[in-house]
Amino acid sequence: MNALLLARQLSYGNPRRPRLDRVDLQLAAGDRLALLGVNGAGKSTLLQLLAGVLAPTRGELSILDQRLDRSGPNLRRHLGFLPQRVAAYPELTVAENLIWAGRLRGLGGAALGPAIERVLEDLQLGDLSQRQAGRLSTGMLQRLGLAQAVLHEPKILILDEPTAGLDPLQTEQVRELLRGLATTHSMILATHLLDDVQHLCNRVILLDAGKKIAEHPVTPDSDLLAHFYQQSSVHGAMDNQ
Amino acid sequence: MIWAIALHEWRRLRSSLLFWLLLAFAQLVIGWLTFAQLEAFAEIAPQIKASASTLGTMDLVITPTLNSLVLLLLLAIPLLAMGSLAGETRSGRMALWLSAPVSSSQIILGKTLGLWFASLPLLLSAALTLMALGLGVALDWPRCAAAFGGLVLFSLWLSCVAVLLSGLFDHPAAALAASYGVLLSLWLLDSLSEGTANWHWFALMPHLTPWFEGLVRSQDLAFFLGSGSAAVLAASFGIARRRGEI
Repeated sequence: MNALLLARQLSYGNPRRPRLDRVDLQLAAGDRLALLGVNGAGKSTLLQLLAGVLAPTRGELSILDQRLDRSGPNLRRHLGFLPQRVAAYPELTVAENLIWAGRLRGLGGAALGPAIERVLEDLQLGDLSQRQAGRLSTGMLQRLGLAQAVLHEPKILILDEPTAGLDPLQTEQVRELLRGLATTHSMILATHLLDDVQHLCNRVILLDAGKKIAEHPVTPDSDLLAHFYQQSSVHGAMDNQ
Repeated sequence: MIWAIALHEWRRLRSSLLFWLLLAFAQLVIGWLTFAQLEAFAEIAPQIKASASTLGTMDLVITPTLNSLVLLLLLAIPLLAMGSLAGETRSGRMALWLSAPVSSSQIILGKTLGLWFASLPLLLSAALTLMALGLGVALDWPRCAAAFGGLVLFSLWLSCVAVLLSGLFDHPAAALAASYGVLLSLWLLDSLSEGTANWHWFALMPHLTPWFEGLVRSQDLAFFLGSGSAAVLAASFGIARRRGEI
């Protein structure tokens, strides 16, 4: 099986106290991979490395068999990234934010309009297109972030805590959207919510204190995940002592 | 892509209250200074005529106002630039810039040009105010063109340096403080140093005042274009390093 994304021994930070320590990861077409861990486990750092926002201090990262650090910026065209804080300009409207995101990802004049119309419809943002991003609720803002991430139809979606800070209704709406996106994209998402893993992913990597401590397929047996989650919390508590 | 980023940056700045406040403030100051200089000129005009001096409106009204415009640009452009990279980092939007299929130099050039576009209305409004004097008095138009050409080049140079300094910090206020520190030092360097000192070459005003006198000198062009390009290269290097491309 060819990997869409392959990370080998990725490390980041001071070698004595790395924020991420020798993590291996592979994402194949159709995969929906969850990074699970407590706060500070290194999930966001790993996602930022995978999205090319940070540069690893050790290790290598390949997308479609090409090294990200040695290829030109065009390789990033295959990535769609939703950061933990949605990257929108509050003073611009939803449509203007999407125009910016589209142009930044190389969508030209003829392709940009239909792409924006498609994501506005898919992410139920049509009625909000002329509203300033600064006046959106958290759930709407999250949908705008997702729209920016999928606008250019990337092969790989990298999502950092897509349901964080949402109320139960908004969480369910975003999960529904993500289930739809998962049918057409390979996906890596970071979360500390077992429900996100259970509902959206087919594989899970457990991170603790910057290290990968386990990798498993996701099964309907949520007790297994709860066990891993508990294990990581115990590790975290022990590290703090 | 550079053009698209520049237009986005210009659109973003144009949507901010700060831009319009700066434009209004600059217009107010330039208008007031112009009329104050004109009034002073009118008072001493008979003495100038009696002494057969060659001094005229250009020397006694326009050039002093342009000197004040230089200071206004030094204060306004870093204010607009503080959001261009430091503001993006602070707000979390830098993640989207860095993960985009755009080269580091394209990001920096686009942001620099966008900032420069935003400084042009300020220059244009000052130019229109001063050129309006031409309705009543004879102006030296080639000298005016040289002066405003110099200011356009100066605002581009300022944009390059301000974007570089904005990229060195994660907080807009820190970027602003550093920009004011560096730029005002360069502005004051002329009055603090002897003309023969080696570092006097870096002083800003000796590279600007010849334009106001109608002189276009290659050494001034070299200063603005050379140090401006160096700033763009350094800022691009900073972004490329963050992304692990270098």
